[in-house]
Amino acid sequence: MSKLKTSKFGLGLAAGVMALGLSTAGIAADEFNGIGAKITEKAVEPWDISVFYDGTNLPEGSGTVEAGQNPYDAKCAMCHGAFGEGAEGYPKMAGDPMPAFIKSLKQGLDGVGNRGVNNAWGHAPTLFDMIKRHMPFYAPGTMGVDESYAVTCYVLNLGGIVPMDFTCSDKTLADVDMPARDYYVTDTRPDVDNERCMSDCYDYDPKVVGAVVTGVSE
Amino acid sequence: MSETTLDQTPQSDAREGVASSDRRKFLRKSVALAASGAAAAAAGNAYAGDVKLETVTEPLKPGATRNILGRGVVSVPYGMPSKFEKHVVRRNVSWLTADTVASISFTPWQDLNGIITPNGLHFERHHAGAVDVDPETHQLVIHGMVDKPMVFSMEDLKRMPSHTAIHFLECPANGAMEWRGVQMDSMQFTHGMMACSEWTGVKLTDLMEYVGVDPKSTWLYAEGTDGSALQRSIPMEGAKDQFGEPIPADQCDMYKDAMIAYAQNGEALRPENGYPIRFLLPGCEANMSIKWLRRIKFVDKPLVTYQETRHYIEPLPDGTIRQFSLVNETNSVINYPCPDNQMKGKGAYEIRGIAWSGRGKIAHVDVSVDGGKNWQEAELVQPVMSKCVTKFKLPFEWNGDEHLIMSRATDETGYVQPTLMQLRNVRGTNSIYHKNSIQAWKIEKTGEVKNVQIENF
Ligand code: HEC
Repeated sequence: MSKLKTSKFGLGLAAGVMALGLSTAGIAADEFNGIGAKITEKAVEPWDISVFYDGTNLPEGSGTVEAGQNPYDAKCAMCHGAFGEGAEGYPKMAGDPMPAFIKSLKQGLDGVGNRGVNNAWGHAPTLFDMIKRHMPFYAPGTMGVDESYAVTCYVLNLGGIVPMDFTCSDKTLADVDMPARDYYVTDTRPDVDNERCMSDCYDYDPKVVGAVVTGVSE
Repeated sequence: MSETTLDQTPQSDAREGVASSDRRKFLRKSVALAASGAAAAAAGNAYAGDVKLETVTEPLKPGATRNILGRGVVSVPYGMPSKFEKHVVRRNVSWLTADTVASISFTPWQDLNGIITPNGLHFERHHAGAVDVDPETHQLVIHGMVDKPMVFSMEDLKRMPSHTAIHFLECPANGAMEWRGVQMDSMQFTHGMMACSEWTGVKLTDLMEYVGVDPKSTWLYAEGTDGSALQRSIPMEGAKDQFGEPIPADQCDMYKDAMIAYAQNGEALRPENGYPIRFLLPGCEANMSIKWLRRIKFVDKPLVTYQETRHYIEPLPDGTIRQFSLVNETNSVINYPCPDNQMKGKGAYEIRGIAWSGRGKIAHVDVSVDGGKNWQEAELVQPVMSKCVTKFKLPFEWNGDEHLIMSRATDETGYVQPTLMQLRNVRGTNSIYHKNSIQAWKIEKTGEVKNVQIENF
């Protein structure tokens, strides 16, 4: 099976090779013979829009906070609020700043409705990517590169993250200091390590609580 | 089951605030007790079979359908459920989202009796609405760190060796409305962000070999062709996060089960579930199983997308924000009885439910009718498959008392489903996602079944 040479499993991961060998038993490389077409990276380019957290693949262009105001007011404010406070149940652009946000979480306050670019986004290039591909909601992906930089810059300014005279561009966005960045920690689950108790698992009375309000399932 | 066990009904003046370490001691102690042969309680068999049956004396009537002709074949070219089953539908919760276009609907598990979710009842989660993608023109691109960047049509994908498997998909927000307390009075809303289907498509690892993925690639990402162009990063062996910290090894293995799916329960995918193709990543939060898939790129770092930094994250009480919590851990729930399926008089019932784990097969499901003090192992209904819903059942005779019924699943890795209080102790109440805790239902003397939480278990 020469095809294994180029596969991830060919790297001496014995178990992986075995598993693959079994699961693909009888599938020779020939079974893909003639299927599909090769494509040049140039041809993929129009679709290859994903921006990495560190700014890799940001398109060339720029936009200032000031230039973002008009498009924001025209295309975004109706859902996200003129000041980014959110409208009609749509998400806020900015919530409580760090570390006040974390403090409110510790007090058990609702953290969901309070999320925004200043407390729950690790990297500014992600914000550009999201706005460019997914907003404005009613016409996703219709803004140009410079307009997207400008609107991104405006939203960052609403979050108190960049000053009024800031220019967002493929050169500057990766270095924007996102307040939440250093709070992220990769999964450490499982959180609980239980044994399978079968009898007399506890000896006190269970404290049962039901719904405080009912009829919310509509 | 002894009479005394049946009498252990919940008291409102219960002892409060038992710390988790105390509870762990309890659990360990009780395991030892069980091993030494102490009383093992049974969930059923206490009732003596003495419920008085009514006697029908009135002669039977002919019935409304006996003397008429029914509909001819193909009068309904695509068959629909009986008109008497109109209540079995997906539902949404209007206050959850501002808009139904970026929203979620729920599968009515309370009305389902198998492990397969009918396609029209599969829960939906869209970020920019369900779109109608033309299979004639749809293309899938695979590129990045590969020998041969390639593009495939639907016909191309169907020529390739196919792969079929039954897997659940679960939104990690399943149960999210219950983190802070009891809210929902239907199991459709407590557990309906999960569905299970037979999927057919092309195995990702087969495609990886065909395009020749560079062994140095540690991540791939998948992207859809809907308005949100939803994208998620998927780890492979050696994957590290944006800070250089490793992604847990078991989550870096999940891609080996992945496929590009074009069929769901034997027919083409439904538009709401990604027609004509979707990425399918069994075991992981369903947001990663990108619908309307158009592109897969092999890379050496995560994108850290909007979904990964803003949505599917968990702020923890210690001030950190958990990211890349990808696997859906073991979960289970009783769907009969449940708030939607109440008791209809004393006597025999079968407690039935569903269990699932993103880490593999379900190994055991235990059922308690006394609030988790004593448990009995339920029967697992075959087939039991990896990352697939498993059905369980256990006979139960109800003598009209109050009961706290619950199920607890253990998967093949030995992971035992936790209690809500245990999860809250670690994660607080702002975590939203991955709430896989034991679900309690309270059977009232009236036969009503209510959603409850036990605050000290
Ligand atoms: C019609 C209402 C609407 C308009 C107009 C709109 N958005 Fe949004 N926006 C949404 C919805 C809905 C979401 C959530 C999307 C999802 O769940 O994937 C969202 C999410 C966002 C987010 C992520 C917020 C978060 O915390 O989840 C940002 C940033 C954003 N929009 C920016 C913009 C910008 C910039 C514009 C204008 C160019 C805009 N939006 C216009 C509805 C709107």
